[in-house]
Amino acid sequence: MSSMLAFLQRMADYWPQVLSGLGNTVLLAVIVTITGLLGGILVFYLSLSANRVCRRLTEAYISFFIGTPLIVLLFLMYYGLPQWGVQMSPLTVSIIGFTMNVSAYNARYLATAYRGLDPDELQAARAQGFSDGQVFRLITLPQVMRLSVPALSNQAILNVKDSSVAFLIQYTEFFAQMQDLAVRSFRFFDAYLVAGAVYLLLVSLVVLAARHLERRYVLPGTRRREP
Amino acid sequence: MPLLTVRNLIMTYEGRNALDGVDFDLAEGELKVVMGPSGSGKSTLLRCLNRLATPTSGQVIFQGEDILRPDTDVRALRQRIGFVFQHFALYRHLTALQNVTLGLRKLRGMSAAEADERARQELRRMNMVEHERKYPSQLSGGQKQRVAIARALAMDPAVLFFDEPTSALDPLMAREVVNILQQLRRDGVSMLCVTHDLYLARAVGGRLLFLDQGRILLEGNAEDLFGEHADPRVRAFFRQEREERAPTEAAP
Amino acid sequence: MDFLQILALLFKGTGYTLMVTVACSATGMVVGLAIAMLYRLDWRPLQPLLRTFTYVFRGLPVLVLLFIVFFGLPNLGLRVPPLVSMMLSLGVIAGAYLGEVFRGAFDSVDRNEVLAAEAMGMSRLQVLLHIELPQMLRFAVPGMINEFTTVLKYSPFAYTVGIPDVMKEAMALSAATLRGVEIYLGVGLLYFAIYKILVSAVWALEKRYRVPGLTGH
Repeated sequence: MSSMLAFLQRMADYWPQVLSGLGNTVLLAVIVTITGLLGGILVFYLSLSANRVCRRLTEAYISFFIGTPLIVLLFLMYYGLPQWGVQMSPLTVSIIGFTMNVSAYNARYLATAYRGLDPDELQAARAQGFSDGQVFRLITLPQVMRLSVPALSNQAILNVKDSSVAFLIQYTEFFAQMQDLAVRSFRFFDAYLVAGAVYLLLVSLVVLAARHLERRYVLPGTRRREP
Repeated sequence: MPLLTVRNLIMTYEGRNALDGVDFDLAEGELKVVMGPSGSGKSTLLRCLNRLATPTSGQVIFQGEDILRPDTDVRALRQRIGFVFQHFALYRHLTALQNVTLGLRKLRGMSAAEADERARQELRRMNMVEHERKYPSQLSGGQKQRVAIARALAMDPAVLFFDEPTSALDPLMAREVVNILQQLRRDGVSMLCVTHDLYLARAVGGRLLFLDQGRILLEGNAEDLFGEHADPRVRAFFRQEREERAPTEAAP
Repeated sequence: MDFLQILALLFKGTGYTLMVTVACSATGMVVGLAIAMLYRLDWRPLQPLLRTFTYVFRGLPVLVLLFIVFFGLPNLGLRVPPLVSMMLSLGVIAGAYLGEVFRGAFDSVDRNEVLAAEAMGMSRLQVLLHIELPQMLRFAVPGMINEFTTVLKYSPFAYTVGIPDVMKEAMALSAATLRGVEIYLGVGLLYFAIYKILVSAVWALEKRYRVPGLTGH
């Protein structure tokens, strides 16, 4: 369609903004995938604690952040906290909010994988004389991580898609830039369609990476679990 | 002084006495086999001795040390005991070689090269060195158990504990493991073996202890227990085991 | 105004939140069932189309699709009302995910029972409706709960197209009273409560229609 071509030309004119927006999207998605994974491992570790209070609190944390919309958390920090004098940049708010949310989900995936572990192996490790920390680090974690690759990589895909939510708290990521272009050109349909196509491309890249990861790290002799 | 002395070991679990006053000794280089019906407390006994379970009362002296003291270094104790499980319990995300070197590297602080060499020694002894790169899922039951034994031996333990080592194996593979135990006995390794496998108990030699309802009813040699025994419970156990295993038990 | 009053004001939006959630979930069910059943009927030319559809709608962010439908389609002369926009975006995306859930659940149905029904003389469609579907739905319950709660958690986007749900109430209240923290905390608790009730309701429904021995319960 000629209208689409015209729009794409317009987009090319605004190339620097669009690129910076894309960069911000990737930045947020990558940071949050990493912090969400590390956070998830930490929360998962806490959920295994011998201390019952610790376990209960961790379960409550996971339950709450799985049951509450991400956007509410972001709005709370971005629009709410300034009224208490705490002002944070959209990126900071996004990173904190996403991390808390994503680590809860990741912890849940790791805990599910944990239920599939052979308790004898953990007992053998303790029988060898490994400390609880060593058992976690050398046996539990490597195995749950490998079993969780499909679920964890799905979460990475979700992080890319959900980064668009940050647009609503004024983070100038890719969707925000496309919105800007849409308003300037009045070509809303074209702009959002192109935006959608770009997200599909980004997601496809992650899917390819995930498939590669799954092939490399699946435990030999185990069936692939559907996420 | 014996390597291991157990006196009046009691373990109460859910109102019952899983162990009801167990007494026995194990000398250096000796092999003892503990037999008994299910629920007799056999597995509980082993787990109390390396503190995977905590006994309610009693005394356990290992290498001259009282190991039931609250300030016992349990991890150090466990490193001196090699434990072989019924279902092998190999770390499935590691190769056979890595299964054996893990303890050497992380508990003994050996370098990767040293650990590999020591591990290969034990794997060679178990005839498993050609399979060192394989994962547990790629090994047969007998092969897995051999790797498990190598893993235990590599740590140079003072004693080996076997928890039903042949019960998850078919008769052919069980024979492999029995041969290994016989070899280890010839090499002078101290061993305590818990089992209900009659073939294993007879073939491997050593003293037999019969455990029932948490108590050692008697201790003796194979002939003493396998013959027509006075105690009806002992007779019943051996008769039942013989009947269940009869079709597969050929004369050695 | 104390916290409870804030909650009461927010509560006004709950009806719309539930309406959006239910509408989008229902759309998802329809779309998901259609996809899964079309897959099941095994018409070769259709498979790549279904796969593409699923891939595309699982790869698009909800917000982007919503904007395409509500703000974009008018460019093509199509004005879509807010609720329908939500259904065509969040609902269809939910449908793509549910399609995968149902596909997996269909695979859990015993092949032999299908063969027995066909041997009886039932048509393919009859077998699908009377044998496979009832079992599949029961296997799919955990996946459905997962997806419905996800729909609930994306429902706040409705405010961007003008639906006066909890989120919209919160933003209005926040602008008026400047008590953002309490308000959004209240919003979080409200959504969490709805989430818990929704999950319990679905499990209660599952229990009502449970077949002993089928799903391992």
